[in-house]
Amino acid sequence: MVTTIEQEGNNLIARLSGRLDTAAAVQTAQDVKPLMEAEDKVIILDCTNLDYISSSGLRIFLSIRKEAATHRSKVIVRSINNDIRQVFMMTGFISLFEIQ
Amino acid sequence: MLDLHCEMILEEYREALPELERLEAAVAELLRKTLGESGLVVTAIATRIKTEESLAGKLERKGQKYTSLEDITDLVGARVITFYTDDVDRIASIAEKLFEIDWANSVDKRRLHQLDSFGYNSLHYICRLPGFAYRFEVQLRTTLQHAWASINHDSGYKSDIDIPREYMRRMNRLAGMLEMADDEFSRIRAELTDYRRRVQKLVQNGKLDDVSLDGDTFRSYLQAKPLDRLNRRIAAINQAEIQDAPLEGYLRVFRALNCKTLGDVNRLINKYEEDAYLLARHQLGNTDIDILSSAIGLQNICIVCILSSGGGKIGLERLFEALNGTNPQNAALAEMTYEKASSLPFMK
Repeated sequence: MVTTIEQEGNNLIARLSGRLDTAAAVQTAQDVKPLMEAEDKVIILDCTNLDYISSSGLRIFLSIRKEAATHRSKVIVRSINNDIRQVFMMTGFISLFEIQ
Repeated sequence: MLDLHCEMILEEYREALPELERLEAAVAELLRKTLGESGLVVTAIATRIKTEESLAGKLERKGQKYTSLEDITDLVGARVITFYTDDVDRIASIAEKLFEIDWANSVDKRRLHQLDSFGYNSLHYICRLPGFAYRFEVQLRTTLQHAWASINHDSGYKSDIDIPREYMRRMNRLAGMLEMADDEFSRIRAELTDYRRRVQKLVQNGKLDDVSLDGDTFRSYLQAKPLDRLNRRIAAINQAEIQDAPLEGYLRVFRALNCKTLGDVNRLINKYEEDAYLLARHQLGNTDIDILSSAIGLQNICIVCILSSGGGKIGLERLFEALNGTNPQNAALAEMTYEKASSLPFMK
């Protein structure tokens, strides 16, 4: 699992690649920490190369959303594959995130 | 040109400036902290120290009225602006607790007008804080009163005497109109609060058919947590935790589903609850997902309602559009949801 973060204008783009499962969750939670402190930003979680997400991964997405709300930032989940879309659907997470 | 007496007061002012700055900071902090904790909507809190130029102007006009700098009560001024006249009175009572009020010099200009006159409306308190030699002025007014006072001040006239009669008449006419608007805003707020209380009572008493569906009533309905039982059943499938999600967006969906009252919404929820649970069990049963959003129950009820009434993929796409806005992902979500649900009994 690889996470990179780039800033483009007012956007912070986190590119997530690989499988975000329980084993990868601890490292990913560390990697996304810079997103948690972002003030007044649009945080884009780019999932183009994300193959899988587990409950632990969903919890990380949720933490990012909660922190973003307290720092007046907004989170967008971008380019999820069919499997992840299904996970978002069956958990009701589509009501929590703007998905593009 | 100032006389010697006024020049001496001006010199006193220059020496007093450090204390006036401390006083201004103390007043500002007290007001901001206390009003911030009060829950009242305050549109602005501003403080200022009278400039030397402004003081000189005042002394030039009525310098003989003052024996020393301490007689001038607005060297430090604070202004609190709020939306509603009722809130001006509430903030006044807070100010009375915060500061020692010099009642002899305080004036409620709102009550000074004769029955047939209108004009400047504002509540002025002359106050004292322990430890400071100088008094200060707190002005409390509504946004509309502030707009009137600011525009009137912009005219450049400092006293009633040199104001052209026609200008004064037209400004006072406006003051009367704004007074009516202020009263109406307060009345609207009071009626809205009453309406919300009545709705809450009807919801609590289960008289849902008497309550028409709108943003306020839907929020009251959701506060009664009508989806809790379904969400708990769905969460029990995988012993999942439930995270709160906003549900207000579903108002658009229920309107599109032709619900006119909370009774219609409630019937729809009861009718499709079992199938919504079956859909969740079908989707989650063979996974180890143990986190859900609290929207899951309502989301599945809407999906089942649309599919069992023949709405198909297009109906689902409209559902996702109502929830998430126009988005190319909606068609894919609709397609996937339709396929997943196709083997369930309510589709037959």
